[in-house]
Amino acid sequence: MEALNNLMFGFGIALEPMNIAYVFGGVFAGTIIGMLPGLGPISALALMIPITFAMEPSSGLILMAGVYYGAIFGGSSSSILLNAPGVAGTVATSFDGYPMAKQGMAGKALAIAAYASFVGGTISIVFLMMVAPLLSRVAVAFGPAEYFALMVLGLTAVVSLSDKSLVKGLIAAVVGIMISIIGIDLQTGTVRFAFGSAHLLDGIDFLVVALGIFALAEVFYMLLRGGGGKEPERNAIGSLKLTRHEVREIAGPISRSSVLGFFTGVLPGAGATIGSFLGYSMEKRIAKDGDTFGKGNIKGVAAPEAANNAACTGSFVPLLTLGVPGSGTTAVLLGALLVMGVSPGPAMLVDRPDVFWGVIASMYIGNIMLLVLNLPLIPYIAKILEMPRPLLLSLILIFCMVGVYGMSFTVVDLLFLLGFGLVGLGMRLFGFPAAPLILALILGSIMEESMRRALQISGGDWMTFIDKPISMWLLIIAALSLLLPLVKPLMRKLRARA
Amino acid sequence: MTAKFTSRGLTAIVLPLAALTGLAGTAQADDWTPTRSIEFIAPANPGGGWDTLVRTTSRVIQQEGLADQNFAAINVPGGGGAVAWAQIAGDSGNPHKLFATSPPIILVPLAGTSRYDHTDFTPIARLITDYSIVLVPMDSEYQDLNDLFDAMRESPSMSVGGGSAPGSMDHIAIAGVASAAGLEASGVNYIAFSGGGEAMTNLMGGHVEAVITGAGEAAGQLGPDSQLRALGVSSPERMGGPLADVPTYQEQGIDYTFDIWRGVMGTPDMPAEAVAYYEDLFAQMLETEGWQEARDQLGWLDAYQNSEEFGAFLDAQKEEFSGVLTELGLIR
Repeated sequence: MEALNNLMFGFGIALEPMNIAYVFGGVFAGTIIGMLPGLGPISALALMIPITFAMEPSSGLILMAGVYYGAIFGGSSSSILLNAPGVAGTVATSFDGYPMAKQGMAGKALAIAAYASFVGGTISIVFLMMVAPLLSRVAVAFGPAEYFALMVLGLTAVVSLSDKSLVKGLIAAVVGIMISIIGIDLQTGTVRFAFGSAHLLDGIDFLVVALGIFALAEVFYMLLRGGGGKEPERNAIGSLKLTRHEVREIAGPISRSSVLGFFTGVLPGAGATIGSFLGYSMEKRIAKDGDTFGKGNIKGVAAPEAANNAACTGSFVPLLTLGVPGSGTTAVLLGALLVMGVSPGPAMLVDRPDVFWGVIASMYIGNIMLLVLNLPLIPYIAKILEMPRPLLLSLILIFCMVGVYGMSFTVVDLLFLLGFGLVGLGMRLFGFPAAPLILALILGSIMEESMRRALQISGGDWMTFIDKPISMWLLIIAALSLLLPLVKPLMRKLRARA
Repeated sequence: MTAKFTSRGLTAIVLPLAALTGLAGTAQADDWTPTRSIEFIAPANPGGGWDTLVRTTSRVIQQEGLADQNFAAINVPGGGGAVAWAQIAGDSGNPHKLFATSPPIILVPLAGTSRYDHTDFTPIARLITDYSIVLVPMDSEYQDLNDLFDAMRESPSMSVGGGSAPGSMDHIAIAGVASAAGLEASGVNYIAFSGGGEAMTNLMGGHVEAVITGAGEAAGQLGPDSQLRALGVSSPERMGGPLADVPTYQEQGIDYTFDIWRGVMGTPDMPAEAVAYYEDLFAQMLETEGWQEARDQLGWLDAYQNSEEFGAFLDAQKEEFSGVLTELGLIR
């Protein structure tokens, strides 16, 4: 009941005409920022700090939060249409979204992404509202040992992400981990694999690799196949409508991934990217038609999209209840709030309920706006596929290059983009799956750092991973998910014999 | 007819222009002013301390109308600053390029990951300072800094978290105070997290025993409902606001202070007139109301030093840091 009263209070703030305008402006700008590869929410929000300075803190946060979740919402478009993830959190969306677009179902894929994002976003706001203060305990319960176990569990998805050859999937994953090691090692300050170049000290940005291996490799692949660009079915957008059967099919994945995504988002450092991968691989494993994932399965679009939006909302839990940022984006938000004279933390619920509840209420409004804004736009956005192929390919190239250059303003990253494009092309030609590489790249560095941190705290005692219950259970689940696929055929054989 | 008209029109334009350039010419002789917009570089991603400093000062200078030219905030992330420094070092003498700086300009080169150090650049001014603060969870048995250090003497594996790599700011800050308290600097089991926020959640979850971080960053965490307790702050005198109750290290009998200063530097061999111009500009900025408001909100303290003082201060800091790093075995 109290939550309802508070929410009403929040809506009172969020529904002020100026704030409605800010929500709209935020989600609109966010959608566009999200669609453009490379231009992520972090840099957009940093640019907005001077604008928000003079605003009421609640309005400022409403605007900036809108940009953030708007970008995650919009990022799916370029993943689906161009195989070029708009933001890091939508990489997994391209696994099935892009094949759907190629099969002439771009409209449907975009619609599913929009519905899943909306549901994921809305479910997670309910969670945020009801249990945020309690959840702050979940956020801090994860120390280095627990993170290590979670990353191990995440990495077991390599098995389900390597389509035909497990060995090739594992090779790709190892390469991903090797890339994640590049740069200054946080535990010792040692520089690894930088070859004396200052540009490699911070490692290689995840989006550079993702854009190269997915988008650029796709461009190269199409160029290589050549053939005048006659692909009639590719140019069809298809219908936006979902059949009743399809709605029933994606309802499960969306609700499961929303919950999973939200909890991943709550954990500082995990966030939308990991959430979407976990959602995707979970659905692939439990689906009866799991082998059609990666070939244009609608559940493969629904799951990561619900998860990444839920994770985005989840990442507000540590920010608003503990005052600590869980991701780069929320770090910028924290900075902006401090500049506006609000310090988020346990006291904020008491001191500035207008900010807390105003933002939560605005998120409901923002998610509805995003849905209403995006659905009618789908036919127009998808028109990009009707472009003549030479134009489309050049456009993808330009998007990727501008995006990568805009992240760091160095030409070196463009060379890496090109290099990873060629690597991606080679992987495609020789049948190496790209998803395990990307997954390992995301999880690898957190896994390594957490493991070494945990051991440093425990004085080198490996039992720390088993002594802590959360870590132990995560490791058991990881072991089970590795063993079950082996045991299943064995059981079947035994049963057949008996 | 037309020709005549044009030439008349031209003289009409040229005359005032000549007068203007003439004026500017004489002004340049003793009093340099920027002729185009100034690139103000934050050698890191948006959101961190350098970035906040760059954006806040640019905004205040603009709002208060202190400079005719625009200050453009630019992020050049990479290598803890090394990428930006390498870029700026190659732009010798350019009077239109500045960057935000803090202890890493000394620590990163000492760690061997930057070819350039503070002596390669022109000090402009030190602006502000923050201090470091030692935190424990509310339910911790340690009531003051000496309790904590006694316990660390007993069990050397006790973990202290910080938000940066070994040999960088947080590590030096805790190793320095531990050493002043009679412990061995290298005996501190320092756990490096990838940011102050991550260190803080690990402290709240009880995964590490204590955390060292910036006092400004911690201020928002300390209040009536706080889950954390501050054991000591590295300032020479007590700080204000929510930190008024936190005793200094010196009050607890440990003779040690640590400044997390931030300032502005320019390109190598920047002309002296330009340095003088910026020195004055930043000194003026510190006096404005807009600055004082922003400064208080961010929990910063003014700590102005002009170019010469700042240069000498940087040299002294390098001495001090090398000493601690040698003790830690991080430089040989």
